[in-house]
Amino acid sequence: MNKEAPLSIAERDFILDALREDVRLDGRGADEFRPLKLSFGEEYGHVKVQLGKTSLIVRISAEVAKPHDDRPFDGIFNIAMELTAMGSPAWENGRQGDLETYVTNVLDRVIRHSNALDTESLCILKGVSCWTIRADVHITDYDGNLIDASCIGVMAGLQHFRRPDAVVKDGQVIVYGLDERVPAPLNITHKPLSVTFHTFDEGKLVILDATRKEEQASEADVVIGMNNAGDVCYVSKFQGSPVDALVFVTKTTVALEKVKHVNGIIDKALQADLAKRSKGGLAEQARAENDRPVA
Amino acid sequence: MGGPIAVLHPLDRADGSASYKCPSTGSNILGSVNAPIELPGRRDALKPEEATIEVFVKPGTAPGGVGERYVEGILRTALGRVILGREKGYPRRGVVITLAIVGGESVGRGGSYLPLLPALLHTATLALLSASVPLSVTLSATVLAVNSAGEITREPSAKEVTTATSLHVLAFTSKGHLLLNESEGTFTFDTWDDVYERALAICHGSSTFGSDGDVAMAETTEGQPLDGIVRDTVEDHIHRDYAWKIDAA
Amino acid sequence: MSSPLILLPGDEVPSEYLPNSSAPLRLGPGLRLLSQPPATKPSKHVLTATQAGILSTDNKRNAVSILSTSNRRYVPTSNDLIIAQVHHSSADYFHCMITPQSPHALLGQLSFEGATKKTRPQLKGGDLVYARVLSTGLGPGAEIELTCVNPATGKAEPGGLGPLNGGMVFDISTGMAARLIRASSSSSDQQEGVAGLVVLDELGKKLEKAGGFEIAVGRNGKVWVDCSNSEDDAVRATVAIGRCITTIDEHNLNPTDQRKLVTRILREMKIES
Repeated sequence: MNKEAPLSIAERDFILDALREDVRLDGRGADEFRPLKLSFGEEYGHVKVQLGKTSLIVRISAEVAKPHDDRPFDGIFNIAMELTAMGSPAWENGRQGDLETYVTNVLDRVIRHSNALDTESLCILKGVSCWTIRADVHITDYDGNLIDASCIGVMAGLQHFRRPDAVVKDGQVIVYGLDERVPAPLNITHKPLSVTFHTFDEGKLVILDATRKEEQASEADVVIGMNNAGDVCYVSKFQGSPVDALVFVTKTTVALEKVKHVNGIIDKALQADLAKRSKGGLAEQARAENDRPVA
Repeated sequence: MGGPIAVLHPLDRADGSASYKCPSTGSNILGSVNAPIELPGRRDALKPEEATIEVFVKPGTAPGGVGERYVEGILRTALGRVILGREKGYPRRGVVITLAIVGGESVGRGGSYLPLLPALLHTATLALLSASVPLSVTLSATVLAVNSAGEITREPSAKEVTTATSLHVLAFTSKGHLLLNESEGTFTFDTWDDVYERALAICHGSSTFGSDGDVAMAETTEGQPLDGIVRDTVEDHIHRDYAWKIDAA
Repeated sequence: MSSPLILLPGDEVPSEYLPNSSAPLRLGPGLRLLSQPPATKPSKHVLTATQAGILSTDNKRNAVSILSTSNRRYVPTSNDLIIAQVHHSSADYFHCMITPQSPHALLGQLSFEGATKKTRPQLKGGDLVYARVLSTGLGPGAEIELTCVNPATGKAEPGGLGPLNGGMVFDISTGMAARLIRASSSSSDQQEGVAGLVVLDELGKKLEKAGGFEIAVGRNGKVWVDCSNSEDDAVRATVAIGRCITTIDEHNLNPTDQRKLVTRILREMKIES
């Protein structure tokens, strides 16, 4: 199962007819994101993302583990996403569906394989211990565009997270509690985000940030992953009808503009949260974090 | 510390949902209920005249494991006693309860789920109420830790749990009947009796029960009884849902 | 109803709230009758709630029920009007979806006004029908049957039952669907509208010049809108109506805000009124 109920013919036809007149069901333009809201929890790396009616929670956690044998200098970074019946009644608990595999794969490629998180900085003692960073994505409401929303969540979470400080003394690894020593931010090399487009009407109509019904009515999807500098780190078109190559070229410009815009929203939310934390008696800590040189 | 914070129907897609945050234990749970729905591949359920209840607990920062399956069993049994699975539209269908631990310390591998159990029960109950799943009664629950000096701590913090000699979770129906008791550690019968009295007071206030079975609410040293918090949360939500009707009257 | 009585599962219905009549009491959803022999009570039966909600009594029909949360999943009840989606058809029936992830309901191939073996509608998967719940059956595994005619008269009663062509459906809460049905079936000149809704009257007034619109509300949380009379504005008018209704549902707007919203959205969608 794990499939949304099919759209009615009326809905499918109407969505297409409306797009031909450049009208979307929620009144948005074709190249417009839904309202994006980010909020952070009490713990480091706890992010809530609300993109229109799609919402999710990302939690980042750190654990000391043994590095992989073939990469003794590298830490470990994993993104874990499991779709539960909470996000949509169509999803079955404990059973992996195609969507879950697809989204996890794209997240892996956009964020992990583009080395957004510098895993070498997670090494504590060569071949013996390193940090394992885990990003758990909990989808709480599904109304389309899981990929972009999750990407935003994971990237915001990584930037918000602080891992406990650890030192090596006489070959022993000592991990200090969050209240014992100022925890360290993760080393982020660049901030990639994905922008997902959906095509209609034999590829003539292209929209971004589709809702669930728009996704269902669409012919194909195109995902572009890039960072603020305009470096493209991921392009995919997995399924559906053919899309003109020009779409990739023209939409890359749109994607860059959106990535910059969304990264701006993330930065703002992070700063606001930092200000709130420093007001809460953590001023010392926040300042120390800012002064910390980025390795 | 303040009392727990509960919100009804924070989610859009699920048929019913609730979030519940207990400041003293630090647990923060988001729960959803989908019901009545068709469970694929389970058309010939063992009890075709009843609804099948499924509980899924999703840990916040780790993959699910034995601990989650264990607590799911406890939840399914307790909630199965209050869900009326034979009401119209429910036989042969599923009631799918999903609980995600979205805040607070994660339960480590092999760690005890008892400190989280009351929050999970409250979230599930509120989500069931939000989805209008027929229930015979509502419930409220609390966790108590007893330390070596015999002191009873209500809703202990993670640190207090590690130093406790025994942990107890008790759940009561809105009629004041004991619905669930899970205890861990070593304790005597006398300790358990004390724990029971204290838990009943936390859930229902220390008032006596009326002859008609109704509980008179009373503010006591324990703050607002948990049963009252469940009721207030639901009443607030219904008031908002029917504001158009109530304001017009 | 001066102050509404909110009950939670397990709460007893106080006898002073029950209709004062010797006729048999009709129990609506959310309530059940328990036989208890309490020593202190004269009556052996008590009514208790099984869902959380407002106690609602109807003295005329001598009925009592619980109005529960407005976002719940729709459970088919006889006589309800719903918008169903055909999934597939078999020799005698159309198999229809009422809510997703629920078993299909049956709609007879001949259960349409004036339908014979030759003139019955040819519906395919994905088509929409406005239908009435004929029966929900008894016991586990019972199948839900739908109809588009009144079996007694052979007419599509009330008007509009049958296939829905064109237009668009929007998802709304079941509570909103119930309110819209009340509001659309009885027009009133009250300032506050029926069931606290003025949106339909307001849209009707403003879209009259553009050609008006057709609407069908299903208790299963669906509303179908068609503006094909509006020609050039059809798509934008339909989207505007959909946005008005779903926004009011989501934010629980009061009549004043509903009027403001209608004006704002029509302006946004560039529809002349």
